[in-house]
Amino acid sequence: MSLRIGVVGAGGCGRAVAQASARHGHEVVLWSRKDRELPDGIRMSTDIADIGDSELIFLAVPALHAVAATEELGKVVDGRHLIIHVSRGLIGAELKTVTQIIREKTVCRRIGALAGPLAADALAEGRPSGAILGTGFPELTEMARDALGGGELRIYDTPDVVGVELASATVGFLMVVLAYAQEIGAEPSTLAVLATRGMVEVSRVGQTLGAKESTFMGLAGLGDLIAAVAGDQRPEFQLGRALAQGAKLSNARGKVGAYVEAIDVARHLLEHARRLGLETPISATFVALTEDRISPDNAIQALMERRVGKE
Amino acid sequence: MLKRFLSERPLRLPHIKPYVPRPGDPSFCWFNSERDDIVSEVVNRVCMAHESDRGRLEIALNDAAFHEIRRLEKQHDEEAHDRLGYWRSMIRRIGKMDDTEQRRVLHTIVTNMTRDVAGNFDPRVYRFARRAVPRMIGGIMEPRHLMAPAPDAVGRVLKVQGDVEHLRKLQSEGSLVFVPTHSSNLDSIVLSQALEVSGLPPTIYGAGKNLFTNPIISFFMHNLGAYRVDRRIRVNLYKEILKLYSQVMIERGYHSLFFPGGTRSRSGMIERRLKLGLLGSAVEAFSMNRVRRVDRPVWFVPTTINYALVLEAETLIKDWLMDEGEARYIIEDDEFSRIDRWFSFFRKVVGMRGACIIRFGDPIDPFGNNVGSRGESLTPNGREIDSGGYIERRGKPVTDPARDGAYTRELGEVLAKRYEQDTVLMSTQVVAHVLFRHLVQSTPGMDLFARQRLRGEIGLDCETLGRELGEARDRLQELERQGRVRTSEVVKGDTPQELLERAPSIWNGYHSSTAARLEGDRVVIGDPSLLLYYQNRLVPFAEAIASPDQRQAACEIENLGVHR
Repeated sequence: MSLRIGVVGAGGCGRAVAQASARHGHEVVLWSRKDRELPDGIRMSTDIADIGDSELIFLAVPALHAVAATEELGKVVDGRHLIIHVSRGLIGAELKTVTQIIREKTVCRRIGALAGPLAADALAEGRPSGAILGTGFPELTEMARDALGGGELRIYDTPDVVGVELASATVGFLMVVLAYAQEIGAEPSTLAVLATRGMVEVSRVGQTLGAKESTFMGLAGLGDLIAAVAGDQRPEFQLGRALAQGAKLSNARGKVGAYVEAIDVARHLLEHARRLGLETPISATFVALTEDRISPDNAIQALMERRVGKE
Repeated sequence: MLKRFLSERPLRLPHIKPYVPRPGDPSFCWFNSERDDIVSEVVNRVCMAHESDRGRLEIALNDAAFHEIRRLEKQHDEEAHDRLGYWRSMIRRIGKMDDTEQRRVLHTIVTNMTRDVAGNFDPRVYRFARRAVPRMIGGIMEPRHLMAPAPDAVGRVLKVQGDVEHLRKLQSEGSLVFVPTHSSNLDSIVLSQALEVSGLPPTIYGAGKNLFTNPIISFFMHNLGAYRVDRRIRVNLYKEILKLYSQVMIERGYHSLFFPGGTRSRSGMIERRLKLGLLGSAVEAFSMNRVRRVDRPVWFVPTTINYALVLEAETLIKDWLMDEGEARYIIEDDEFSRIDRWFSFFRKVVGMRGACIIRFGDPIDPFGNNVGSRGESLTPNGREIDSGGYIERRGKPVTDPARDGAYTRELGEVLAKRYEQDTVLMSTQVVAHVLFRHLVQSTPGMDLFARQRLRGEIGLDCETLGRELGEARDRLQELERQGRVRTSEVVKGDTPQELLERAPSIWNGYHSSTAARLEGDRVVIGDPSLLLYYQNRLVPFAEAIASPDQRQAACEIENLGVHR
């Protein structure tokens, strides 16, 4: 069954989604503000109205541009359209998820968030991989599997949409922390403690925003973190290494070449946790490190001196 | 005995000849002629869903018998005496029954339950109530007016806000589903009065069976279209029947009312977590009509009911402060069941202008979109869309309970947001908040329960309090300009000093404990739990209206809404 698929965004992720869909025999149109060269089987368009003819739309823009992209999309979509986004960030101090932005800016309601250890090149080339789709709509999962699944991509699903989005965004921050620690020579056991306690920390905050703890421990959280540690060259890892080598945050971002939202997300998350009186020692210490309020040695010492409790 | 008789067999007036509805009558007047048809449609749909699968059928029968035996064993009353034997004998036989026997038993159980649920609508009672209720309430408020024609006491106390004209236009085009916040058992009465004075149609609504034990209330409830909900029954089939009854009524164009909060807000907070069962029935009614090509849309009207004085405040907050496990879902011994409290309550509110404000919010379609004057669904930038698109799959409208369940959850979130935006903050709530915030600020590190014991110990001079109140009011008005909340005319118009004097005078003399009292030039906090109840309405806005040095206390107050 051939689907009409629209892709918004011509970055690595958008192109990979378009390639995978075209490979599975679907009719694909990719929208971008600028005209671009695309592989065979994908129609390029700079007119957003062309996306309006699609049944399933993939929103593949960084969270930073989600508001502008959805405003554009909102002009041509209605209740018939199903939308899946693949953004990994949260927006603003209110920690809005991209799903919330789609709901505010468009009238689409059948929305899903695709996340997990899904790498753009693996998806584009059809190498075996897995992902998690957060959605309350079973029909959307079926369609996503039709569009991208085939024999190469296992798409699991969960109704905990906000959990998938928060896990995906906050794990990006833990990736920066782990890369930093690795670069300054932390032992494997130190990395393990940072990763597991970091997961507990972000999931504790996530639960106050409506997420389920189990989602953080699944593909969207732990699964994604393992993939990054195993070396899939995430920009978050590159940022962590650059910071450890002494670069200032703005310079480190420049080196990476992509805007990594992880540190902004961590700052907003910290503010939220402070208001609720939640303990977030790893995030607080690392944010202080990036703002030069504490030295790396003192950071480790401060974390090690904390009272130890039950797991 | 009488109690059971009334709750089982509600009184109806005899009919000499059947009522023939006249043009212009509300759709409800057709109900009695359709009643049997509606009951059999509900029975057929429930039975059909179970009959195709023997496993499912057997589970449903076992579940019904198990829960009914458990309920009746605890009841030790006449109903238990009559019915326990039936259920015990049935549960023993289920496994031995053949398919036909199981279906027959299912049909009997579902029919009995549906008949028990289905209401009645008597146009004579409706016409009587339209005239009598305002006069009765007016009479209680001002006894000298009891016999005089059309006292306007109700109009002075009850204010209606919102785009009523829009709703009046929509009422003939589809089914309106009013979904109000729920603070008091008076809600259904004041809301029906608000519908009446606004020229809006009467609605069907589900009323707890416990309300039917009062003979007068039972008579009115039953004859004004209320369907009975027995919250003691835990049987899954019963829940399906309730949902389907509501769905079938909405599909047929009956306007409907239910409280998505499920039960009165114990804390006094604006409801955030909504019960989705009945909400879902309305969403599914929309889908079913579309699939059958019936052009009868469904619109939701988020409504807030805002009281300056709440009849049952003391019982409700006491219940909330109990451990969650001990809190009661059904309260039968509160102020609502005591007529003396009614009198004190109404006597108190008579002198208050706008003691209750009902605000009808802008209607939305089942997918949370705004609705235009002709009932068309609109995008945020005003483009017209076909709401039927939401239930299409590959271009065809289809029913899909899982999809509609997801739409319902989203609708619940939209409603919770609308409740905040359409809440009208009353003088007592704003004053209670400023006082309670001061209490929190003066007792850092103390928990909520320890603070409840600080009676008469914390106070503040009127000048400081007046200044804090003025600042809080200014910030609330800024939030109002941003569309985040609303404030009453009294909050807007009175000086802080007047507000300070007004609030204690409203509480004291009705509530059995003193929330706050004026002692010379100081206001002393009496019962913190009452203040907590009234201030809880402001929980979502606490931080936004606090000054920097009040922010810590405000955060603590906002967290009340996160943890519970």
